[in-house]
Amino acid sequence: MIRRLPIRMPFHYAAGASASRFFEVLRDQGRILGRRCTGCRRVLCPATAFCALCGEPTDEWVEVGPGGELLSWTEVPGRGAYALVRLDGGDTAMLHRLLAADAAPRIGDRVRARLADTRAGGILDLEGFELVGEEEVT
Amino acid sequence: MRPVAIIGTGQTRHSKRRDDVSQPELVREAAAAALADADLRPAEVDAILISNMELFEGRAFPELWAGAGAWAIGKPCLKIATGGTSGTSACIAAFHQVAAGCFDTVLVVGFEKHSEGHTQAGMALTDPYWDRSVAAGALGNFALSVCQYVQERGVSERQAAMVAVKARRNAAANPHAHLQLPDLTIEEVLASPVIAAPLRRLDMCPQSDGAAALVVAGEASARRRCRRPAWVKAAVTRHDKPYLGDLDRRLATMRTLRQAAAVAYRQAGIDDPVRDLDVAEIYEPVTYAELAWYEALGFCPDGEAGRLIEDGVTAMDGALPVNPSGGVLSTNPVGASGVIRVAEAALQLHGKGGARQVEGARRALATGYGVYAWSDVIVLESAA
Amino acid sequence: MSQPISVSHEMDLAWRYASGEAMERFCAGLTDGRIEALRCAACGLRYLPPRPFCGDCRARLTEWVAVGDEGKLEAWTEVQVPMLDAGTGRPRATPFAIGLVRLEGADTTLNHFLAETGAGRLRVGARVRARWRSERAGTMADIECFEVIG
Repeated sequence: MIRRLPIRMPFHYAAGASASRFFEVLRDQGRILGRRCTGCRRVLCPATAFCALCGEPTDEWVEVGPGGELLSWTEVPGRGAYALVRLDGGDTAMLHRLLAADAAPRIGDRVRARLADTRAGGILDLEGFELVGEEEVT
Repeated sequence: MRPVAIIGTGQTRHSKRRDDVSQPELVREAAAAALADADLRPAEVDAILISNMELFEGRAFPELWAGAGAWAIGKPCLKIATGGTSGTSACIAAFHQVAAGCFDTVLVVGFEKHSEGHTQAGMALTDPYWDRSVAAGALGNFALSVCQYVQERGVSERQAAMVAVKARRNAAANPHAHLQLPDLTIEEVLASPVIAAPLRRLDMCPQSDGAAALVVAGEASARRRCRRPAWVKAAVTRHDKPYLGDLDRRLATMRTLRQAAAVAYRQAGIDDPVRDLDVAEIYEPVTYAELAWYEALGFCPDGEAGRLIEDGVTAMDGALPVNPSGGVLSTNPVGASGVIRVAEAALQLHGKGGARQVEGARRALATGYGVYAWSDVIVLESAA
Repeated sequence: MSQPISVSHEMDLAWRYASGEAMERFCAGLTDGRIEALRCAACGLRYLPPRPFCGDCRARLTEWVAVGDEGKLEAWTEVQVPMLDAGTGRPRATPFAIGLVRLEGADTTLNHFLAETGAGRLRVGARVRARWRSERAGTMADIECFEVIG
């Protein structure tokens, strides 16, 4: 015997000290910030209070992007394409939507962040990454 | 088994809502405080144990993403989730890891951010065929258990209110505590609204955001790093049957706590707990539970818990101060609450209790309570 | 210092659960207005809900026994807080009363809704009887609630 039981659960997440500024600047200024680690000096994006790689605290805001490099991508039928992107000036990969993936992207392609028209202070303030056309690469 | 000791503790500020930090940042606060207290660098920690009820926040893999806050990257890191006992279970797991010689230094971090999810919805996910449709959270379960306990033992509302007052007044001397009510009176408790008969709002613990951490070390490290290590003399866990209706007169019998305490007292050489212990940090999510635990822990014979609180035996200036921290009744981030019990017990032996210090405390008890009936009992001692 | 930013959302979670053999038979019985428990041959305890093993004796349970739909109220409470109903995901209307009922022929108690609120007739030891729904689907909700009798 099988029972199906759906439930609706409400959640609420605090972005915290560092990510709050990341989202605030993204929302209000349309700029993407990373944080530099005091230990390994890498720039983490999205910004976090401490380094996901070596554990040390981060202490310096660094603007990254909006251009970047496509590290990997996949396409989910019916849901669109997703990309792992390393933004220029950053050292970590960010997961987001890959826009207009029908252009057959290749790993290593140049991409650029596209901002959403209306922004509310969340990761969807970035609409996603779009491939930068050949003509734009000079 | 090799000697094991707690050599450092740390806690965050606990409050209703910590929107100023993310979950990993909250964990970092407590972990950094415990490492600083133990005078230890993150690189010197061999393994990490995380205590968290991830269902309450709805965020998968807390040992991964919040574990980063405890410098867990590149190290052995496990999560333990056993309801209210999560924190004490994680401590006991750390004791075992060090006692077995697997690791020399283990960092335990418990955390919860109840503000980020819906605790009662999480607790409603009981057996879908049996009692899910009637689930009414910890409150409903406690109310039913307390109904029986009151009927059987005849404790009064007033005696329960005395527990509420003791907890919140003690909490006023604890800078980390969530509910600090230095002027709370019995009358105010009795005037607080009934939320599930016979329980009043001030009979229940709050839901808190917070984290707590402690460092467990083997003998040589403990002696080198800590002036007064809190040695683990006993650490016992007992679980029980899964359904609310499985056990008769749950609070009055509380067989897991009775069994665990009997074994722990034997291991630690305790004959009369009120005489032989200097301080106790017990897991009392509701006032009446503290009274029931007095009996289960042998602080008094069955039926005399009301007299014990009336006589002030468990007050700060009594023979056995119970919950100088203010207890779960004052601070309850579930995943952290068990760690707080053990950390507060160790803190007393370290002599770092500040305004809540029990003078000359040498032997301390910490307990955990989970879901319907699980119990952990830990005895610490400041001389090996 | 930036203002703290947070996101709120509701998550719809869908689960499916297999009952296991014992609960399947129990639920089929509910459809016919029948309650059955499993009895441990070693210690004699009659278990509701029925389950494959006795936790005390580590013995397999195979002996089905009939349980009445009347029993004794062992504990009750009236809840004033709008608890979230795990079946619908919505808050329940308050106040509502729940109780632990020891049905005749069972040794464990069953927690379920009570028909009335208030301390009038609700007391430990009161006789209660299941109020069955006329349309039954083989779930615990086939018993709408328990009502005080006598």
